[in-house]
Amino acid sequence: MEHAAVVQHAVESGSKIQDLAWAILILPLVMAFGTAVLTPKNRTLSAAFNISGVVVAFLLSFTLFCVYGGQSVDATPFHWLPVAGLDAEIGLHLDALSTLMLMVVTGVGSLVMIYSTGYMHEDRSYTRFFSTLSLFVFSMLGIVLANNLLMLFVFWELVGVSSYLLIGFWYEKPSAGDASKKAFLTNRIGDFGFMLGILAIWSLAGTLDIAALKAKFVANPALLGPWAGLAGLLIFMGAMGKSAQFPLHVWLPDAMEGPTPVSALIHAATMVAAGVYMLCRLFFLYTATAGWPAALGFLDGVSAATIITCIGGFTALFAAVIAVQQDDIKRILAYSTLSQLGLMVMAVGLGAKTGDASASMYHLVTHAGFKAMLFLGAGSVIHACHHEQDIWKMGGLRSKMPKTFWTFALGTAALAGLPPFSGFYSKDEILAVALEANPIFFGVGVLVTVLTTFYMSRLVLVAFFGKPRGEGADHAHESPSSMTLPLLVLAVPSAFIAWLPLGEFLSGHFKPGHATHGGDILFGPFNHNPIAAVFGLGAVLFGFSLAYSLYGKAPTQDPLSAKLGLLSQAMRNRFYIDEIYDGIVVPLHNLLSQIADAIDRWLIAGLAVRGLSGVVEIAGRALRLVQTGSIQTYAFLFTAGVLLIVLLALK
Amino acid sequence: MNYSLITLEVLAVLMGLIVLLADLWVSPTARKALGLGLAAALGCLLAFAVGSLAPQSGSAFADMFVVDDLARYFKGFFLFAALAVVLMAVDYAPKFGAGLSEFFALTVFALVGMLFAASANDLVLLFVSLELITVTFFVLNSFQRTQLASLEAGVKYLILGGVSSAFMVFGIALIFGTANSTNLAVLAAKQKELAHSALFLIGLLFVLVGLGFKIAAVPFQMWAPDVYQGSPAPATAFLAVGSKAAGFVLLIRLLVGAVPQITAEWHRLFVVMSGATILFGSLCAIPQRNLKRLMGYSSIANAGYLLLGIVAGSAAGSTAMLYYLGGYTLTVLTAFTVISAIANHVESEDTSALSGLGQRSPFLAACLTMAIVSLAGIPPMAGFFGKLLLFKSVLDVAPGHPELYALIAVAVVGVVISLYYYFSVIRAIYWGGQSANLSIIPVALSTRIVLVACVAGMLVLGIFPQGLVKIADHAVAGLSHTVAPAKAAH
Repeated sequence: MEHAAVVQHAVESGSKIQDLAWAILILPLVMAFGTAVLTPKNRTLSAAFNISGVVVAFLLSFTLFCVYGGQSVDATPFHWLPVAGLDAEIGLHLDALSTLMLMVVTGVGSLVMIYSTGYMHEDRSYTRFFSTLSLFVFSMLGIVLANNLLMLFVFWELVGVSSYLLIGFWYEKPSAGDASKKAFLTNRIGDFGFMLGILAIWSLAGTLDIAALKAKFVANPALLGPWAGLAGLLIFMGAMGKSAQFPLHVWLPDAMEGPTPVSALIHAATMVAAGVYMLCRLFFLYTATAGWPAALGFLDGVSAATIITCIGGFTALFAAVIAVQQDDIKRILAYSTLSQLGLMVMAVGLGAKTGDASASMYHLVTHAGFKAMLFLGAGSVIHACHHEQDIWKMGGLRSKMPKTFWTFALGTAALAGLPPFSGFYSKDEILAVALEANPIFFGVGVLVTVLTTFYMSRLVLVAFFGKPRGEGADHAHESPSSMTLPLLVLAVPSAFIAWLPLGEFLSGHFKPGHATHGGDILFGPFNHNPIAAVFGLGAVLFGFSLAYSLYGKAPTQDPLSAKLGLLSQAMRNRFYIDEIYDGIVVPLHNLLSQIADAIDRWLIAGLAVRGLSGVVEIAGRALRLVQTGSIQTYAFLFTAGVLLIVLLALK
Repeated sequence: MNYSLITLEVLAVLMGLIVLLADLWVSPTARKALGLGLAAALGCLLAFAVGSLAPQSGSAFADMFVVDDLARYFKGFFLFAALAVVLMAVDYAPKFGAGLSEFFALTVFALVGMLFAASANDLVLLFVSLELITVTFFVLNSFQRTQLASLEAGVKYLILGGVSSAFMVFGIALIFGTANSTNLAVLAAKQKELAHSALFLIGLLFVLVGLGFKIAAVPFQMWAPDVYQGSPAPATAFLAVGSKAAGFVLLIRLLVGAVPQITAEWHRLFVVMSGATILFGSLCAIPQRNLKRLMGYSSIANAGYLLLGIVAGSAAGSTAMLYYLGGYTLTVLTAFTVISAIANHVESEDTSALSGLGQRSPFLAACLTMAIVSLAGIPPMAGFFGKLLLFKSVLDVAPGHPELYALIAVAVVGVVISLYYYFSVIRAIYWGGQSANLSIIPVALSTRIVLVACVAGMLVLGIFPQGLVKIADHAVAGLSHTVAPAKAAH
């Protein structure tokens, strides 16, 4: 057993550096509760505590990354209830995936918190904001570190709860309350499938320990038999919810109602990445032999991975098309996130053939950096324009907010995929995988790249160039340094992460000992897969020239809307998906809930609960009558009791 | 003879006498300081009792008095309870009017009774130590002399206590008459032949009556609600924690240590007692609105859960009882400390008077909530793990005994019912409607320390139960557990 060997090794070697993972996990939780309970009135102190908690967690994560690299290690697990026959293990696992994700989560988390000291400065629930952020970071770290599915699920739900609290942070706004409910409920649908998947795996494989599961799958790829496909898809449902894949994508754009730092943290770098991360962690499920129960026989020959690829590809394209006609700066970024997540999910599905999902993970990491930067940049713009979010009411911000502009432009270049910025390299890996596996999805990838470049160029040209078209933009000025500093810090990985052999590092996790491309990283893509690289670069240039021809001359309204006509209407209305849900899902749901309510009200509550509780209550009141308060009665009953026990014992 | 074995008891008696003497010279305003000093002294004694300097194992006074791991375990937490009760009384002082020092001294004398009970290895010492506890409680319960309810509580406890003591003395006489000895070790050696003597068995049952009265088990529970309600809160706390635990240590010594075979034969009696106690306590608690009366019924129900350990008759059962008592002590002390702390600020002792506590003192509200959650047996608090151990010990011996499964079912039903009335307290704290009075309730530093220690203890015991389980295992290792009923059947 590989897992057992690893644990054994850790125990024998006596080195306990890996136990720092516990500190990383617990620190944000301690800070969240500590500040909520001890310093709720002291804003500065609360912010300082929460920020230092996450920053220290980042430093510890960095230490672990340096010490272990891609090595697979377990921290000493905690056994609760170690009574015979009962064992609830809570264990933390470190490997290439989790150490990297630890740094992403705590790194972006720290910067977002520092940024929030500026952005949320006037908010009266300042302390609540910081402790909820810490709670979120704690939940997310739990997902990253979990070594078994049960623990993963618990933290999965905790992420759901804390994101609910954050999206609905301004709960006095009805739209924020609705958005948080929508996010939570949509995620619940995915989580339900996820839970069923976990139960299926538990009953079929007999363990929830990820390392043990992996070992079982390596020994016997047909472990789940005919249920492999279904279990894989059920698990994927969890990822569909958190990573907002079609048709469960509807919550993410609405979630922009939350404060912008929240969007940067959870809708760019962490929560939405959780789904992709989980797929990479459980990647062995999708490389296993596919199989379907008899009832789903028509799916024979199709693997769960293929379905995942299709859903991912569709989401990528679909969201990119919608983004082209959005006017709200945060919504453009939200749809862009959807689209990029689609690409990552597609890459996981495609990678199943070669047994290597490193492209997806690589893109996740680079995307976390530049998308967080873009969101924070958007926040800086919104802050400067007095909470104006419509790009058509901005304009000319380039000279007024130089730091924000340059970092935003850098983020745009990285997202579009312009070399030598990070996005180019990670997207290139996805394109290369797609080209090898299936030319159709290669086409999807290229098309998405064209659209991405187009809508991001549109955003930058309209918001930052030309003349101010609104009062907010007219009076805009650069944000305080607490907000620009995180932007500048995030610019570093976006610009330079490509210099690190991150792709090789990750692919070493999926395929140990796999021959690497080697050679020059910066020009690597053009050497080992020139077609993908050239198409990727060409798509960027094409998308940009298209955008420039339309928006380069500083129009005051969108010239594309007139040209596209009805199509533009549909895109602006997000292809009416929300309306369709309102029209079909909501009435159906209402009907079901009415039936359930009737059953609950009349059968369960009426007969069972009220009946039972009534009997219990009456029994309680009747027994109370015995308690007369009269000492004679008591003494009499006492003596009667003595007789009773004598009879009972001696009979 | 090794007199050093009774060092703890002697020191405690001295403390009580010093408090009484010091009262003559201490000005009335400094009496609270006297209490704090006493608490500090008790703290030192506690440190001494659990430290390595404590008397080693051994027996003294013609084998009447033993010090072993079981005795040390109980002495430790009697001392802790007394310490907490003294601090509680400091907070509660304004309600007493006068005689605060006497309250302290009496608490210490009751403590001495409990310390002796923990070491009792002879029915005579058992009786004397129990009487010391009971007689001091006559006074403690009626300490608010101007309050009718308090006097009533004292009188009820006096009369019913007298009845139970009468049965007990009678029982001891019968045992002495048939066995020619009152020493538990001698009884243990002779239990096989004595099991056939009806007179001996009746004697033993009468002793059980006395102990059943102490722990408030059905059918000897009648006094508990009235007395809990009427007594001053610190006295009630000590009654619920110390006196009950003293009853249980004696039950364990007698039933598990001395006559385990007879206990195994009376299996049915204990099943019925345990089930009836759980159900009576839980059901009667439902309509209660008075917080202390509610705690009285809760205390009855808890006696029923603890009896599960006797029913199991195994080492695991005894361990579970010891662990449960540990967690229960912390929980009840927390609850009563909060009740004492708010006694001067809320108008009545009804649960409805708790409304607004969440705003008036978030700290007290949180502590009381934690205590209630632990009482209800919800993880990760100590109460959960204690119930789990008790249920498990019974389930382990249940195969072949359908009545044990029925008992577990009753116990689970009891837990479910208890959720209802426990959570009505939490509801009152946080969602109790608008309270007219929202003035902040000040909390003394000493009270804060006790509460934080108790709550932390509940959490630590719940999350890391192994430590206390190991100690409890050790403490019961010396008892001669019989075979569990299941194995006896084979």
